[in-house]
Amino acid sequence: MPEEEGESLIHVAIEAEELFQLRPLSFTNSMVGALLTSLLLGLAAWYITRRSSLVPGRLQSAFELPVELMSGIVSASSSRWRGYVGLILGFFLTILVANWIGLLPGVGTIGITHIDASGHEAVIPIVRPASADLNFTLGLALVAFVMFVYWGIKANGPGGYLKELLGEPLYMAPLMFPINLISEFSRLISLSMRLFGNVFAGEVLLATMIALAPILIPAVFLGLEVLFGFVQALVFALLAMTYIATAIAEHHTSDHGEADAAGADHPTAAEAAHA
Amino acid sequence: MTGGTNQVEGNIAALAAGLAMGLGAIGPGIGLGIAVSKAMEALGRNPEASGAIFVPYILGIALAEAIGIYALVVSLLLIFVA
Repeated sequence: MPEEEGESLIHVAIEAEELFQLRPLSFTNSMVGALLTSLLLGLAAWYITRRSSLVPGRLQSAFELPVELMSGIVSASSSRWRGYVGLILGFFLTILVANWIGLLPGVGTIGITHIDASGHEAVIPIVRPASADLNFTLGLALVAFVMFVYWGIKANGPGGYLKELLGEPLYMAPLMFPINLISEFSRLISLSMRLFGNVFAGEVLLATMIALAPILIPAVFLGLEVLFGFVQALVFALLAMTYIATAIAEHHTSDHGEADAAGADHPTAAEAAHA
Repeated sequence: MTGGTNQVEGNIAALAAGLAMGLGAIGPGIGLGIAVSKAMEALGRNPEASGAIFVPYILGIALAEAIGIYALVVSLLLIFVA
């Protein structure tokens, strides 16, 4: 924390730190994390598909496990699941790898030493898990947002999509339209904030625990973070799936009483239950 | 950050961040407790339904947890930005 003069054991930065300038852009350490994620996924995909067989070996089964888990869940969501199963799988695998990269040894600790503005010596970690950067999670949420609006317009037509925004009894439209609009955009905010908040809070938790009790105790939290990284990837993918599935669903009975903007996604959870 | 008023403001911001997180965790905590207890109850009554319960359960706890994350974001803003 900048206002304290004393040496702080915990190094926490809410925003990704710049490694070097790439003229118009600044190249941050979370970009290294994102590149590493893509590279790892691409390499794994290349390696597995190169020598895949119908009867999977041990390594191939390990890589097929998350794919089978997700496609099993997605195929139960709606009849037109083939259109978006790739996107949901992509979300899941990207976020999973991005989260777990942050747990590797050396990721938050190996870095470049430099003198910051107040004259202190500070270490900028070379790799920062990509999902601990709001830019990355907001980008993912934007992709999900564009996709479920696109699917909604594709399935119901622009008029149908607009009608859904206006709400069911048309005389209530002046009240319902702004609420529905806010609820659409609050999905964007909540998707990105949830992932960022969880991963960043996990980072802070680990840093705090390592500073408090360096031996043995952090291992417990490291194990917890492995679980949370998986759950958050699953949550993001499932929410994106539910949004798309409800967007393309035919609307014969409309009970969208989304009263409050913050809790606007409750009916989707209910719809997922009988989907 | 050397001036006296800035120091006081920083202290109040730290207090507000702690309060925001602590108070903001009450609601999601209760909500998560209810959700998990009901899911376990449903699982105990009908163990075959675990596949059908899983997805809505994960979505439900994610939505409850999101409120806690909002509190976390507010307190992070108070610490790092304000």
